[in-house]
Amino acid sequence: MKLSKESVLGLIAIATILLMSLIAPGFLSSNNINNLMFQLPEFGLIALGMMVVIITGGIDLSITYIAALSGVGAALMLVNGYPIFLAILVAVIFGLACGAFNGFIVSKIGVSPILVTIGTWVLFEGIILAITKGQSISGFSETYSLIGNGYYMGLFPLSMLIFAFFVLVTGVLLNKTGWGRNVYMYGSNDVATLFSGVRNNRVVMKVYLYAGLLAAISAIIMTSRYNSVKVDLGSSYLLQSVAASVLGGTKIEGGYGKVMGTVYAVIIFLTLSNGLNLLGVHRAIVDVFIGVILISVLTLNFFSDKIKQKKETTKASKVA
Amino acid sequence: MSEYLLQMKNISKTFPGVKALDNVELEIKKGEVHALIGENGAGKSTLIKILAGVYTPDPGARFFFEGKEAEISKPLDATMKGISIIYQDLSLFPNLSVAENIYIGRDSHKKPWTKVKWNDIKKIANKALKELDMDIDASIPVEQLSIAQQQMVEIARALAFDSKLIVMDEPTSSLSAGEVEKLYNVIDKLKKQGISIIFISHKLKELFKVSDRFTVLRDGKFVGSYDAQDMTEPKLIQLMVGRNVTYEKNQATVEVGETIFKVNQLSKEGNFKDISFELRKGEVLGITGLVGSGRTELAQAIFGISTPDAGTIELYGKKLSIRNSAGAVKEGVAYIPEARQTQGLVLEQSVINNISLPIISKLKNKFRLTDRKQEVKLAEEYVKTLDIRPALPHLDAGNLSGGNQQKIVIAKWLSTKPKVIIFDEPTNGIDIGAKTEIHKLMRKLANEGIGVIMISSELPEILAVSDRILVMRHGRIAGELNVAEATQENIMHYALQGKSNGKAPTFVAESNQMSQGV
Amino acid sequence: MKSIIKQKEFSIFMIVVLLCVVLSFVSPVFLTFENFLDIIEGNVVMAILAVGMTLVIITGDIDVSVAAATTAVAVIIGNLFSFLPDSWISILILFLIAPVIGIIIGAINGLLVSKIKIPAIVVTLGTLNIINGLVLYLTNGQYLNSSNFPKPFLTFANFEFLGIPILVYLLTAVAILTWFILKHTLIGRSVLAIGGKSQSAVRVGINYNKVKLFVFAYMGFLAGIAAIAQTAYTKAVDPNGLLGVEMMVIAAVVLGGTNIQGGRGSIQGTLLGVLLLAIMQNGMILAHIDTFWQKVVTGAIIVIAVSYDQISYRRQQAKLAKIEVEA
Repeated sequence: MKLSKESVLGLIAIATILLMSLIAPGFLSSNNINNLMFQLPEFGLIALGMMVVIITGGIDLSITYIAALSGVGAALMLVNGYPIFLAILVAVIFGLACGAFNGFIVSKIGVSPILVTIGTWVLFEGIILAITKGQSISGFSETYSLIGNGYYMGLFPLSMLIFAFFVLVTGVLLNKTGWGRNVYMYGSNDVATLFSGVRNNRVVMKVYLYAGLLAAISAIIMTSRYNSVKVDLGSSYLLQSVAASVLGGTKIEGGYGKVMGTVYAVIIFLTLSNGLNLLGVHRAIVDVFIGVILISVLTLNFFSDKIKQKKETTKASKVA
Repeated sequence: MSEYLLQMKNISKTFPGVKALDNVELEIKKGEVHALIGENGAGKSTLIKILAGVYTPDPGARFFFEGKEAEISKPLDATMKGISIIYQDLSLFPNLSVAENIYIGRDSHKKPWTKVKWNDIKKIANKALKELDMDIDASIPVEQLSIAQQQMVEIARALAFDSKLIVMDEPTSSLSAGEVEKLYNVIDKLKKQGISIIFISHKLKELFKVSDRFTVLRDGKFVGSYDAQDMTEPKLIQLMVGRNVTYEKNQATVEVGETIFKVNQLSKEGNFKDISFELRKGEVLGITGLVGSGRTELAQAIFGISTPDAGTIELYGKKLSIRNSAGAVKEGVAYIPEARQTQGLVLEQSVINNISLPIISKLKNKFRLTDRKQEVKLAEEYVKTLDIRPALPHLDAGNLSGGNQQKIVIAKWLSTKPKVIIFDEPTNGIDIGAKTEIHKLMRKLANEGIGVIMISSELPEILAVSDRILVMRHGRIAGELNVAEATQENIMHYALQGKSNGKAPTFVAESNQMSQGV
Repeated sequence: MKSIIKQKEFSIFMIVVLLCVVLSFVSPVFLTFENFLDIIEGNVVMAILAVGMTLVIITGDIDVSVAAATTAVAVIIGNLFSFLPDSWISILILFLIAPVIGIIIGAINGLLVSKIKIPAIVVTLGTLNIINGLVLYLTNGQYLNSSNFPKPFLTFANFEFLGIPILVYLLTAVAILTWFILKHTLIGRSVLAIGGKSQSAVRVGINYNKVKLFVFAYMGFLAGIAAIAQTAYTKAVDPNGLLGVEMMVIAAVVLGGTNIQGGRGSIQGTLLGVLLLAIMQNGMILAHIDTFWQKVVTGAIIVIAVSYDQISYRRQQAKLAKIEVEA
């Protein structure tokens, strides 16, 4: 019986949680568990968005600024007295618009995603700064803060339910729709999909739109949770989301990546950084840790691929 | 001193899943022109890449250079011994000047801080260009040259390197007749200087003209080395193919029905011009012509990969406006590309996913989600009917052999229920058995009423499969023949001379086949 | 003449000239020698980094860790200062140590990109995070002022020759050195060759991994130099002073005509790109445009420059007609 990559990650996630419950004081306190549960959705959503882009062989370096811009959109509506649902709508529209902009330049003009999203990273950041003058916007209604802080039936964090919903949606979209299949096929070989009558630019456009949407949803949860928004809303999730996708098994060259892998990786990261914090490790060192994990995982992948290739070659020469 | 410049012994090369070379040897004498021949996939290019130090052979391989045991484990080893390789796809740098392109690589063994001696570079480059009677400005970047000029630059590089051994992989495939003559002269001159040449070509006539000896490879195995005097063309073909294969010319007279497909005055600048033809029910239409005559460009324009500038396309009397490949698929036009591994298949995905690729959005269950069961069933059916082996549809497409991969591509298009299928070099690099199967399949599809167009460079294949033949030349249709009146000679006549404008052919004149693979 | 006009550098130069003309109407201060020197001196750090980034982008890669690497070196030399004597030797030691630390950081990036084959964007995002985290942890975000800097360093920082600050000479030296490497040495030609066509490069015996390693190590070397320049210019070490500068650097290089997919690029072009960005910023300040809009403009410039580049690249590719169609 061989376990899939994702199941192994799941076991690692459980092991990390067990380890932290043993060594980190207060890890299992209801307060801390709550903390974790409320952090998971905002990070998880951005990581899923990043994963979908990476499956196509691209990367979205602007994703956290899309989130911040969406958050600013919602915040402006709220502080100007518009109803919550309009604020949410505006956040989603902002997210989709940013995604469409990225998607247009990547799919229609054909610029490499790295360059495009480096440009839009600065652009979106600039737009936020120009709107907010570098200040934070805060003071939203009680009801709005329920999205990020409230419970459903007094037990489940509402934001967790939203996250669970989008985990399900992402899984279904990727595995059970034509678009999802094309995302994988495009990621493996975009020339072959073009020669098979797939509308490549639509597939790619939808990928960046979806990443924008998830960033916007994450932004709604974040603004509600923090009751304020600033230009750096969620910016620490940029590298973490790339790292979570890669640790979750997503191939950085594209063509492979599973929702559950990314979810497990997000849980591992959160548990680690939370546990390390409880152990008194400096916040900055936790960032260092994540960078180290990202590079180590890719280095290990490289060597294990090499060994695997060698094995296959020897096997083949024996057969032949 | 040994009479051999180079000896390669016990050369094997295993890639994941395939043994590309199996205990091959190659011996090159000093100052000889040695032809390396074999069908596509026989292992010629793998062997050359090993000689070049690009691939590392399996353990046990031995090299002898000028009588002494030698090691070639990286490109620099080969360069330092005076081995130059002229690859068919060239190894030039479009952004660098002609002179630098000729010189580059000479100093690869030197310290990175070595100062570049621009005067020497110019001198050496100009000398090499002069030897080839090339009149081009050595200071312009290579990207501004035509393909033929680029190839001459590559040959100039080999000359400038004072090579002892030059490998030429299909060197004449894009040279004009004049340039080919010049190349033969250069080869003669090199021979007199004691330089050895390995010559790879599909043009047998040409091989007999320039070569002193032959080494034949088949399916990655060494068949033998022979002196040119003891060799005849039919014998050589038999050695390459392993048995006496000639296709039966297509004798059948088919009942042609209504017009399925009509192309009218289709043009695209720099690709093809004023292309008009009709395809009728029941027939297989063959399109041939030399490499670079615009066949593939025409097919890809019909399929919507590129957009023609002018002209119309009709399917069953309905004018099509195809703007992209998705539009073509929707209208029922299918295209099986020449580059199977890059354009035809997603190698790292399963056979199932490849077969359902163009129709995945339509395979929906009652919840409007992908119907995996139906998808698998569909793939299994095609695996069975087309006899795809191994019959394991969950395997990645990249694990199957060339012939079976091509069947996956065909299955993929059959799943779209096309009205017209364009096959572009459908049997390129496929073994004989699978070739015949694919030929039969094309005939069967035509009988079932699907419009079948086959593009091929192999004249025997064109004659064996087509009912009607279009010959392209320089982006235009140079002639149309019924199979009954067609021979290799009159097809070549159209391909080289065109209708009768009396102009000298720009392509190699003496070859009687565009690519005598079989 | 025609070939000069056709060059990309020339069109960037014309844009710079045009911008200068416009700005001289906006503000009379703009077209003064002092203002120009200020603009150049204020952008020496960015220019040095952009010169190094040019090589990275010519080979088709990217390095987003440059600003972090520069900061790391600056923090290290800032802390080293209290151990250095008040003598000219200190300057020498500085010019030895800073580049070496930079090279080490760059070489780590280079090894991960070339040997382990991790995409450069992922590697450098990772090192960016690691370096920033370590710097933040070690400095606690604390600003180091010049009180414990050796006197000779301050003299060095304030030194002017012919009325031109030393940093401008430093930049000139870096630019000429890099131009020379790119134009006249084997390794420099290999950088262009790999950018032009990496497959051909491997075939003619160019060591691909070595060249990639060189490019990132050289970037690190220049980050070390830039750290000295930054410390000399601000006479302080600010762990947050260069946050986000890597984006400006990339923008300048792309704007200067370096193409990520074709081995094209020049030091002259990059310097013009830096100048263009710098003048634009200066102009916005002179025109009293909110500083926050500068980021918007920079972002827009990157997007427009890479899009324009891609469109013209495609057009050029399409022009290379494969077939001589008979008339």
